[in-house]
Amino acid sequence: MEYSSLFFIYCFLPVSLLLYYCVPNKLKDMSLLLMSMAFCGLAGLPYLAYVMVFTLVNYTCARHIYILSSKKDGRYKLIPMAAGMVFNIAGLFILRMDCFAWIRHSVRLPEGFFPVGVSLFTLSATGYLIDVYSGKYKADKNFVRFALYIMMFPRLLMGPVLRYDIFKRILRTRRIGFQEIGKGAAVFIKGLAKKVIAADTLYSMYSSVDSINVSDLSAGTAWMGISAYILCLYFTLSGIADMGVGIGYCFGFSFPQSFNYPLFSSRIRYFASRWHLQVIHWFRKYITRSFSARFKNRYVRKMIYVAAWTLAGFWYGFDAGSALWGALMGISIVIEKRLSNSKMLKATGIIYTFLLTTVFAVFLSCDSLKDSFRYIFAMLGGNHALADMQTLYLMKSYLVLLIIMMYASTDLFRNILIRSGRSRIKAAINAAAPAVGLLVLIICTALIAYSGSSDMILLRL
Amino acid sequence: MKDRSNWLTAAAVSVFVIATGTFMFGKMTMNIKSADIRRDASGGIGKALQSYSAECIAGRKGWISAGSMISDAIRGNTVNGVYVSDNRLIDADISKRGSSAGCAGSINGFAGWYDGAVYIAAVPTSSGVYGDTVPSYIMKTTEKQQIDSFYSQLDTSIRRIDAYNILKMMSDEHIYFSSDTKWTMYGAYCVYRTVIQKLGFQPVSYDKYNIRHVTGEYRGDLYSRTLYMKCEPDILDIYEYPEGTKVTSCVSYSNDGKVSVCSLYDTDALGSEDMYDLYLGGEKPLVRIRTDVNNDRRLLVIGSRCAASFVPFLTQHYSEIAVISPEAMNKPITSLLEPNDYEQTLFLIGIDSVESENFKFIEMRELS
Repeated sequence: MEYSSLFFIYCFLPVSLLLYYCVPNKLKDMSLLLMSMAFCGLAGLPYLAYVMVFTLVNYTCARHIYILSSKKDGRYKLIPMAAGMVFNIAGLFILRMDCFAWIRHSVRLPEGFFPVGVSLFTLSATGYLIDVYSGKYKADKNFVRFALYIMMFPRLLMGPVLRYDIFKRILRTRRIGFQEIGKGAAVFIKGLAKKVIAADTLYSMYSSVDSINVSDLSAGTAWMGISAYILCLYFTLSGIADMGVGIGYCFGFSFPQSFNYPLFSSRIRYFASRWHLQVIHWFRKYITRSFSARFKNRYVRKMIYVAAWTLAGFWYGFDAGSALWGALMGISIVIEKRLSNSKMLKATGIIYTFLLTTVFAVFLSCDSLKDSFRYIFAMLGGNHALADMQTLYLMKSYLVLLIIMMYASTDLFRNILIRSGRSRIKAAINAAAPAVGLLVLIICTALIAYSGSSDMILLRL
Repeated sequence: MKDRSNWLTAAAVSVFVIATGTFMFGKMTMNIKSADIRRDASGGIGKALQSYSAECIAGRKGWISAGSMISDAIRGNTVNGVYVSDNRLIDADISKRGSSAGCAGSINGFAGWYDGAVYIAAVPTSSGVYGDTVPSYIMKTTEKQQIDSFYSQLDTSIRRIDAYNILKMMSDEHIYFSSDTKWTMYGAYCVYRTVIQKLGFQPVSYDKYNIRHVTGEYRGDLYSRTLYMKCEPDILDIYEYPEGTKVTSCVSYSNDGKVSVCSLYDTDALGSEDMYDLYLGGEKPLVRIRTDVNNDRRLLVIGSRCAASFVPFLTQHYSEIAVISPEAMNKPITSLLEPNDYEQTLFLIGIDSVESENFKFIEMRELS
């Protein structure tokens, strides 16, 4: 089920909030778990079954790691640790890679079965097992709380991927109230608008270019197409993440934001530190730092850094193109750090970051590496045309929209608000916010009224 | 100030969501049929509920109409998969259609055991004839390709009729409704002239018909998808041939064998939700028409919805015509009639309906 669907917005969410607010405090977690199970069940019984088995296996493994580590000979804790890791990683590979389709068929999973969010809750659970194994915290005895960590529906589709101790703290410090619902509604509507208005519109522009044969693309069309892709990807992922955070607020949880206006950063490394924050942080924490600590040679450390980025890229798409995207990001950051004092870099920061991240995005968007290189060739004018009728048509139809979306993807408007302090501008914006929020909700409802939902596009995590 | 803003946001959004949700939930629980949901639930029950909730939102037409206007303003010319040109709506989602292999296989299967001659005309939708007015990056394939691919899968014994080129040549005429995928009665007449010659008759000339405009308020399936207000309504016509032969009986049969009297033109349908039901009273598994033509020729027509406006022209040539609608069937064709009682069979199939699984009933024979 999508957050951006009429059924979720007008039936599922209000009913679950009503239930959550009506039950006594000690039953709130249980009610939220039941609603999360219902959410998974609505996406299909195989999905619910997978998530339940996944939760049970990880809970059992973590408990055994903890119990065995507290015994005299703690080395046996490696057995449940290895079992949990193999189960998590094998599950992820089997469900996401086409070459394992025969296994999916042999266990009679429905055609096209994909447990949405599997990549995210696998990261969460794997991180949890590693932390329990390394003794950072105890394995939780409370099964309801652990099950919520895996399948809580506000963070099921797009995270955030949190450490278990942080998740527990968020659960403990929840603030329930009508104002929290207002705050959550505002963030949810912002996310909904990003998805339904921005991402879906940009997707129609991207798919217009995607439908053209790569060898017929002019440079202008290719650039417009890939710009639409990266913006669409950003608005899709951050929109769904914002909706999740907004729902979290409604239930009293302050989940952190996953995207911090990364697109027009002035350095690649700033882009990297603002893009899907918790996911990138996960790879840095569990891959880069874990392995770098064992090596002193700085070249080896750089290689580990690039390898972690490659793995993060692979995690996005489970194909060679995505892995190459990750590798290029890692290499660029390493090179950029070496050139950080260059005057050239200072003068062209935002432009070069946007150009590089856009070119790298080609590897995420194309079906194969061969297509990616052909697309880049077209972007460089290799098809002997800088612009054609298609470019002019796209510019006429979408250029204004593209510029508006580019502006919307920056933090300029937020900075104006922050700088306005206690001025009248801020007061006016606060006064208008409820009406604007409601208006945006009405517009989004109108846009999805025909199909009933705005489906997840480009990437399924 | 911020707290008050949050409070007001919560109040405004809560009232709107609860009011909309209560109505939607009420309508969903009242009208829901578990069978519908089961049929739709291939992507999980939630997916089925998502699309069903869209049908149950209060003021659905208003929402879709508003959505179309907003979409038109921000996304250009495509609304809910329909391309909005200056003078007509065109289905731009034709590349999403399913495979025609199942339909072709069923027709081959039928031709295998049927004793008479089999003819087929695959009828393009308005997207096929006017698709070249849509930018190529929106219309990613053509119906010509789909028709060619469909024909290539048919057995060589089946005689193909090229409806596509006939209609393409007449594209300046009023052969398709501006808000519908289906042809007008004039479009059907243009194809009839060729089809009837292949079947061994001379066509009735156009000037012998009295054409009556029964309504100027027709809005078709593409309008229903967009509710795009700027699209002008169309005219529905009836073709009458006063000096021609008369229909002596017209009877429809339901799947459970219930018999009812019908007519070539059911004007009561003009007051219904779908005015196209004017022709033969809508889709029924079997309609049997008898005329006072005294030649003892019998024709079996197996067709999709577009066939309904074509059949009136055939009544001038046959003493009996049986019209089968696969879309309305749920059991083998032989449970409705014996095809071998008819010496000719004409498949008149809209290319947008070849993906239907119901064509399997055409090749099935009920064991006696």
